[in-house]
Amino acid sequence: MRDLTKHLPHYFSLFGILLAGFAGLILFSYNKNFQVGIAIATAVSYVSWGIVHHYLHKDLHFEVFVEYLAMSILGLTILFTLILR
Amino acid sequence: MSFFKLLEYIFVPHESNNQKARLLHAESLLLLSFFLISFQIILGFAQKTFPKVLGYAANISPSEVIRLTNEQRVTNGLNPLNESSVLDAAALAKGNDMLAKGYWAHFAPDGTSPWSFFIRFGYKYQYAGENLARDFPDASSAVTAWMNSPSHRENMLSPNYKDIGVGVVEGSLLGVDTTLIVQFFGAPLAETSQIPVAKAQAVSQEPQVSPTPSPTPMVVSQVGATSPPAEVSPFTSTKNVSLGVVGLLLLALSIDLIVVRRKRIARIGGRTLAHLAYLGMILAVILILKAGQII
Repeated sequence: MRDLTKHLPHYFSLFGILLAGFAGLILFSYNKNFQVGIAIATAVSYVSWGIVHHYLHKDLHFEVFVEYLAMSILGLTILFTLILR
Repeated sequence: MSFFKLLEYIFVPHESNNQKARLLHAESLLLLSFFLISFQIILGFAQKTFPKVLGYAANISPSEVIRLTNEQRVTNGLNPLNESSVLDAAALAKGNDMLAKGYWAHFAPDGTSPWSFFIRFGYKYQYAGENLARDFPDASSAVTAWMNSPSHRENMLSPNYKDIGVGVVEGSLLGVDTTLIVQFFGAPLAETSQIPVAKAQAVSQEPQVSPTPSPTPMVVSQVGATSPPAEVSPFTSTKNVSLGVVGLLLLALSIDLIVVRRKRIARIGGRTLAHLAYLGMILAVILILKAGQII
């Protein structure tokens, strides 16, 4: 929680991105193309958030980038298998 | 390595896993993605090989679809539509045509339009519309999906239409057991005008259907009429596997959050809280997403 309170503006923006992604996926549940686009946009935003956050925190390393990338790929895979099923 | 040690290696930050649960390493995450993709490939293969086991099937009554549609119209201050046995038959014929020719669209690959079914069954229209749905578990889910889509909603709530007909068919579509709902709307020519100007409107969006076949009194679906319902839904299987994967990761991340804090472990890596938030969103989507498609 200390990390959360320390970087409150950062996490606000992250929660905003994720909330927008969630709302978009539900609101456009009738259009799979929209859903795919929203899922990709959310994943890209998530990785971008990670890069900016760690850059500002001065601990951005290649391993960190790969971790966010892998997490976003997994998230995308899960969403795609459900949306396109 | 004992079972306990293995669990610790997978889920708990420790010297053995470089102070990070093995499940949370980038390679493990990518491996899980690979596993999910492989599962989908196997599921697709199984659907084609065992269509009676893996597929969508439901028991949806056309009259229930019509009742729910009229309920929506009345709620929105419109007159309910009259069920037309001619449109019922035409809709059923359209459903059977999709199964026979193996397509899921408003227009058949050979160019057959939805309106040709109106004409074929002798319904001369001034206005005509079509909504399609597949793979919905019940009539209510399909109607809700249509209502959530602006273009389908426009069809359902159009004051131009007077009649409605619904056909529900079950059968194998491109090798997969499925249930299709065809909803036809129309306004007869004589009632509104002497000039035969058709304003047909097919709605095309993404599907979300839960079809349940209940043959109309006029026409009984031949396709799939004798086939037993599929026992396993591919969507539900996918959902359950996804829930399992996300559940395991959330568990590993929660343990990671606690252990790293307690042991004051310093390491290079992403923010556990951010990963938890991202996977939390994915979990919420998994829980809310429903099967079915509409066009």
